[in-house]
Amino acid sequence: MLNKQIKNRLGFLLLLPLFILLSGCEFKDIDKDVFVAMIAIDQSDEADKPYKITLKLYEPSSSFKDAPQPTYSYLTQAGETLSEAIRLMEAYSDKELQFGHTKLIVIGEDLVQADKSKEILDFLLRRPDIQMIAWIAVGRPSAEKIIKMVPQGETSAYPELFNYFDHTGTESQYIVTTYLFNFRRDMKAWGIDPVLPIIRINEKDSHFEIDKSLIVRDSMEPHEFDPLNTSLYTMLTKGTDRADLAINEDDEYFIARIDRLKTKHSVTIKGGNKIELDIKIKLYGYISESKKNLDSKDLPFYNKLLKAESEEKFTKFFTDMKELGFDPLGFGLDYRSRTLHNRRMSKEEWEEAYRNAKINLSVTPQLKSTGSIQ
Amino acid sequence: MSRYYYYLILINMVANIIASVPAILLHSHKDGAVSAMILAIFVGTFLVTVYTRFFNAFPGRTLPELLQKTTAPWFYRPFVFFLAVMWFIAGVITLITFVFLLIRYLTPEMSINLISLTLILSVIFGCLMKTERVFYTVEIILLITIPLILFIFFKAYNNDHLEWDYVKDAALYVNKWPNIDAFSACFFLFLGVANLTIFNRFFTEKQKFGWKQIFIIAVIAMATLFTTYFIPIGFNGLENIGELVYPWISTSDSLRMEYFIIERVLFVFLLFYLGIAFLSILIHWHASMEFLKFVFNLEKIKYKGKKFGKFIPVPFFIGISLILVQLLNEYRLFLYTHYFYNALIVIFPSMCFLFLFIKRRMKYAEQANQK
Repeated sequence: MLNKQIKNRLGFLLLLPLFILLSGCEFKDIDKDVFVAMIAIDQSDEADKPYKITLKLYEPSSSFKDAPQPTYSYLTQAGETLSEAIRLMEAYSDKELQFGHTKLIVIGEDLVQADKSKEILDFLLRRPDIQMIAWIAVGRPSAEKIIKMVPQGETSAYPELFNYFDHTGTESQYIVTTYLFNFRRDMKAWGIDPVLPIIRINEKDSHFEIDKSLIVRDSMEPHEFDPLNTSLYTMLTKGTDRADLAINEDDEYFIARIDRLKTKHSVTIKGGNKIELDIKIKLYGYISESKKNLDSKDLPFYNKLLKAESEEKFTKFFTDMKELGFDPLGFGLDYRSRTLHNRRMSKEEWEEAYRNAKINLSVTPQLKSTGSIQ
Repeated sequence: MSRYYYYLILINMVANIIASVPAILLHSHKDGAVSAMILAIFVGTFLVTVYTRFFNAFPGRTLPELLQKTTAPWFYRPFVFFLAVMWFIAGVITLITFVFLLIRYLTPEMSINLISLTLILSVIFGCLMKTERVFYTVEIILLITIPLILFIFFKAYNNDHLEWDYVKDAALYVNKWPNIDAFSACFFLFLGVANLTIFNRFFTEKQKFGWKQIFIIAVIAMATLFTTYFIPIGFNGLENIGELVYPWISTSDSLRMEYFIIERVLFVFLLFYLGIAFLSILIHWHASMEFLKFVFNLEKIKYKGKKFGKFIPVPFFIGISLILVQLLNEYRLFLYTHYFYNALIVIFPSMCFLFLFIKRRMKYAEQANQK
């Protein structure tokens, strides 16, 4: 009996030194970390240091009551490479820079124009801590200005700029949402070109304006979509399911509010290197505004107007894209997904065929109501 | 079949996603990965059938026991030792891959030895358990992780950003001759059944194994292979898919659950796969330990009346793994894994001949017994 007790005590004593191992984890404490909210990448003025990186850092505050206003700090550094700039910035900060919570990457417009997307992408993808689900956008006039602006009414927990993209706040037909993985995938493939939103600042009211977008392709000048084309693009790619279309024809002027969209696009191969682009669009919705009194009986007539107007707009969009050689919807990809790889046209042949393609576009309008009043 | 049998098969299939299998497969996306996958489904299912039928004929017997009865010591001792080494390597590959993943994505500041030691110690403790207890551990962890992993797969399939055109494009490369590397990587998925060499001890009753069971296994294999190969392509495109070092990690990082507790699925995915990797290493190393126990008669080694023989391999396991973790880099791990998988497609099918031999010998032995 006694023997057993002694044994137990001895065992306990032997276990005691193990407490030395409990020296705490090797993580850095959270107050020794500083979290990067956004990254801005710009072209710098210095010739030997072409990249300028600005980081938006969350300033820690002990409680929400202490800091009702959002507080951020910023770090800016130019470097020959992106990593060099980041490395130098690490020396300016007293805390460890954490990129794991970075949700938005803004690239300056001049850098995109200078066709530097590939280098930037390589850096962003190689770092394991940068999320692939970070949003990527173009900043006008510069990325630095965009991330340095704190708009009115911003809460301290969540930067307002995130709300535009995460589909839990505003959902607008003018906002294109592109994730980093999306951008990488479409940038590297042929047959589809990625589209990036352009963020601008309204200086007077100090709020953001995101209603334009930029279609980019490797070694080609990017093309800008105006708000109309941007909204057509988001409608076609299911980026939105709500959209307004203004119809102005035959003295009629009304707004069709689309609340459900179905789009299909495909390529038909017509022997040789001839192709046709088929686009079928179904628009469901109601009329939300009109300059004249409307009559429910005339819905077929309004549908006809909607069909004519929207077909015209969409056809113009596709004709423009075709002539410029851009492929925002991925007809090339669709072509690749339906022909065996050894019987395919080459990339150059495809581009030639795409430029000469015939467009078969049809819109099926489904206006169901004139709204709450006739 | 008993459900425990399916666990053995399932773990090897599901665990491959974090191992080098997807990287090897996607590496040859333009030269015959798809046809290799199709071929592997047929060959693999056939191999599973042969192995299961063989061990089913001898309920409760392990392969070393059968070898002892039918072959000479000069053959079975080195052979079983060889098996032990092979099972150890299989475990070590999963271990090192996962340690690399953890250090890259989850705990970049921790020392690599500490991470591997944490994993190794928990696995070693499990390895020393009895075979049936290993099975119970497997069941509990699978019950927790598999539904959640299936949920992540469901979210991936259901994602708007999964571009099926890339998937179709990749599938159209089916008219290439099967690639040997891709084939061996796929083949590895089916080798969970080889664990029966030890784990057959648990199945003391004769099991039913007919077309239905074969069909279930083939379907599970097809679904796993399809998910392993095509989902990363749908998210990351086809052109430069080969450049991804961990295709599935990048894929899970492309998923976003805005209403989940953690928005970035990558961490959730890594955590659940930690469980699966643990099981995979546990099963492989348990088998390895049992082989060693048999070869060196470790059970009989006593000191002052206490059996400590089964602890003898432990320092070797820990030591070799720690050295390998230090020594290897990503590229060499990938390369050696590759060689290992390629060796397996020779070794395991040729073991079928050994089985034939054992079966005949056992028949004579039984007839002799009856007389």
